[in-house]
Amino acid sequence: MIPLIFYLGLAALLFSIGLYGVMTHKNGIRMIMCIELMLNSANLNLVAFSSYTDTLNGQVFAIFSIALAAAEAAVGFAILMAIYRMHDKINLDELKILRW
Amino acid sequence: MENLMLLAPEIAVVATGLIILLMGVFMSPRTKNVLGYLATLGVLAALVLTVQSFGTEATMFSGTVSIDALSQFFKLVFLAVTLIVSVASIKYNENSDHTEEFYTLVLFATLGMMFVASANDFILLFCAFELASFATYALAGFEKQNPKSLEGAMKYFLIGAVSSALMLFGISFVYGATGTTSISTIAENASLLAENPIGLVAVVLLIAGFGFKMALVPFHMWAPDAYQGSPSVVSSLLAAGSKKMGFVAAFRVFVVALAALQPDWQFTFAILAVVTMTFGNVIAVSQTSVKRMLAYSSLAQAGYIAMAFVVMTPMALTGGIFYTLAHAFMKGGAFIAAAAVVWMITTQRTGDLEVPDHLDNFRGLGKRMPLTALCMTIFVFALAGIPPTAGFMAKFVLFSSAIQAGMTWLAVIAILNSALSLFYYARLVRYMYFLSPEGKKIGLPFPYAAALLLSAAGVLAMGLWPEPFLQWAMEAAKVLI
Repeated sequence: MIPLIFYLGLAALLFSIGLYGVMTHKNGIRMIMCIELMLNSANLNLVAFSSYTDTLNGQVFAIFSIALAAAEAAVGFAILMAIYRMHDKINLDELKILRW
Repeated sequence: MENLMLLAPEIAVVATGLIILLMGVFMSPRTKNVLGYLATLGVLAALVLTVQSFGTEATMFSGTVSIDALSQFFKLVFLAVTLIVSVASIKYNENSDHTEEFYTLVLFATLGMMFVASANDFILLFCAFELASFATYALAGFEKQNPKSLEGAMKYFLIGAVSSALMLFGISFVYGATGTTSISTIAENASLLAENPIGLVAVVLLIAGFGFKMALVPFHMWAPDAYQGSPSVVSSLLAAGSKKMGFVAAFRVFVVALAALQPDWQFTFAILAVVTMTFGNVIAVSQTSVKRMLAYSSLAQAGYIAMAFVVMTPMALTGGIFYTLAHAFMKGGAFIAAAAVVWMITTQRTGDLEVPDHLDNFRGLGKRMPLTALCMTIFVFALAGIPPTAGFMAKFVLFSSAIQAGMTWLAVIAILNSALSLFYYARLVRYMYFLSPEGKKIGLPFPYAAALLLSAAGVLAMGLWPEPFLQWAMEAAKVLI
């Protein structure tokens, strides 16, 4: 059996890649993809813990969170579409009316 | 079979939301105004049902939903905010083609908040959190032809989604260390979490996740943009309602579930509270947009409420919980007053149309819209903590609890901050009453007037007659400690 720490390491790596991507990218779609990566790393954690602690809560939680991530992406893309229709761009660093 | 009557307020809210959504499909824009009244009735019914069920204690659905004084109190907070918002939105949505979507989203957001308040399991907590968040993301971007609304919504969405991911990652570690997602079971097996280094990782991630939702500095970047960009009635829901959701979840998660790690998070919250209240007040001084100023003042208020996590005595928790209700009325009302001014500027086409909530547009408001100006004055003085308002009582309880617990330094910082905040609140009052108006007097539409009077009544009632509210807050605090 693969030791638990490998799963946790992979999840932490995925999470960090996602967080790095959200902070450095300007493209709206890439940012949403990076957020999905972060959510999925948490799912990986939940499933790994579920199998190592012999409880089912984690798997149930992961299924719920996959559904929620899909809903989240739907709302996010809807807002992004509205922005695209208005500005003809999806680069979010162009959004700078509101500051200070 | 569970006794579903215990969930009557939630059922009332969700049924109203679904009925409105269905009815809206068959109605013309002109007749849709009636939907606002319907939503108000539904929320009012839920409010009455919640007040009626005070004192009941139960857990339902295999211990995932707990109905206790804490959840009842916060349901009261959320329903009061939704009531104010849905009354005011009757005017905002007048002759709009999207009335039913607006009200359904508002009601579903409220439903999510109510379930967060009574969640006793991380799965339910997370799902309810997301339900409320998704509905408010859509509401923030509701004016889809308005670039400001979209910008606010996008920033709110991105940061909200990142914070959800942080929260979920943190929850996964709590689950890994304890092998359960039930908050009360985690509290019983607290030693598992305290011995395991994973516990510390979880605390860091959860503080960051909830810090974003509560808009504590340095996790606050989204709040001013989202509050300024969103339609004012939605800002009212965001600042007064959805932020409180972060607090009730943090109360359950940190004070109950992670009690074993108290020294770790207590110190972090001390730093966050001090930085948040100072930063919010200092930046608010230089704002010219009133909604943005209210947003920064909202940060400062979150800093005050976060003091409850630092002091952690029953009195401090009572103060923090009482403060959330007071803040719901004060901030909700203040944003509705801003909504009334925005409405006046856009219909009259006078003043600064580019930034309809600019401070200059509040010039001489005491003569142009006497009721709005009077209510706004009550709200900002309550936010500054001047008696006899709710804000004074809330600050009094919270700050004196800090002194009692020997944390005089914290109380001193908070009181100095309140003094600083008086500057920008008084400046708004000066604009409203001592500068000459730029237009003629305007009749205030009934929905705005009703919403303003409702919240002003709440602010004054909690200030003049605080005993029953303090009693409720004390009952709620007993659930935590």
